[in-house]
Amino acid sequence: MDAIVEEIRRAYATVGITLDAPAAYGTYYRLLCAGCGRMVGNVGDHLLPGMAAELVAEQFELYASGLLGCPCGHQSQTTRQLDTPRWLAARQRFDA
Amino acid sequence: MADGSGLSGEMRVIEDAERRGRGGRWPFWRPAYAHGDPLPKLTCQVSRPAYRFDEGEPLPDEYKELLIKMLRHEGERAGNKSFLGLMATCLDIAEALFPTAEAKLLKAEYLAEELKHAIMFHRIAVGLQHDFALRDVPYAHYAFHLPRETWADDAYFHFFVDLNGAFHARDWRESSYIPLAKMSATVERDELGHSEMGYHFLHEIVSDRRGRELARRLLLKWYPAALDMFGRSDSRNAPKFIQWGLKSVGNAEIRQAYKTYVDRKLVALGFEPPDERANRRFL
Repeated sequence: MDAIVEEIRRAYATVGITLDAPAAYGTYYRLLCAGCGRMVGNVGDHLLPGMAAELVAEQFELYASGLLGCPCGHQSQTTRQLDTPRWLAARQRFDA
Repeated sequence: MADGSGLSGEMRVIEDAERRGRGGRWPFWRPAYAHGDPLPKLTCQVSRPAYRFDEGEPLPDEYKELLIKMLRHEGERAGNKSFLGLMATCLDIAEALFPTAEAKLLKAEYLAEELKHAIMFHRIAVGLQHDFALRDVPYAHYAFHLPRETWADDAYFHFFVDLNGAFHARDWRESSYIPLAKMSATVERDELGHSEMGYHFLHEIVSDRRGRELARRLLLKWYPAALDMFGRSDSRNAPKFIQWGLKSVGNAEIRQAYKTYVDRKLVALGFEPPDERANRRFL
């Protein structure tokens, strides 16, 4: 599972989310805002290979518009730095 | 020790506690069953022997192997650390992402009911094979591991994943393993209620335009996982499960019944069900 956990860690790092230490009994991990440390969700370590990166990439617009991510706005700002035109389009589309 | 009600003393205490917890929206299964059986009947279409096995009776090797395999997948056992870990994630979500105080309380009722199942399945495990009772079996299917980053993710998790449990429990009504058949109605009812809880949350989420957009996007993540949960349509083990009376129908049949059910509910929410082949991993 180490390789999958590493994949998950790398995928979430791109949008400003940190993978915490394993929670209860090691199968699940809390997702923390890399900006302020607040818990923003959780994830398990039995995703299929490649799935974490795919899921996070598909959620780009949701992070950009603030529909996903921390209320502090860190993920939105991170996605803005990644791709400003796409960030702007997402903000307009979701009326953020 | 069983009494005249058919319940053991400890389960009577739990039933009593549950009864006192009823009120308001909980339990969600109540309105769902008020107009009859909400789930489709799963009828075996092949000729097979009418096996019946009770706790303590010698079981054929293959039968026991398949039964334990099925219960390993099911996972809700008090002695399964990974199940307790999954419940802990639900607590974390309830604490960190809850939208209202009512939602938080409903989630607490959900957890209590799942822990009741853990006791029920623990009893089955002990009656089947002592060392199985304390075996840690991480949930193998990716649907149990998908990230949950909003209350909408969590609502889909309950709507889809608990409903999968309800469909399997529906099938166990006819199980050749008597202890499983006996508890199937309770588990089915409760799991259907948990699915309805998720659906209730989805209803609230889609009432707002941004919430609707969020739910529409997240549906693309959860729908294929939900259909994948039933396994491959050409599973080599499915005919064995059916022959031994542990299941009534194959993976494709139960998936289709489930899909018909969830599609109708999604349409009622105002969503078009996604393409059933898109992003699927186990066809």
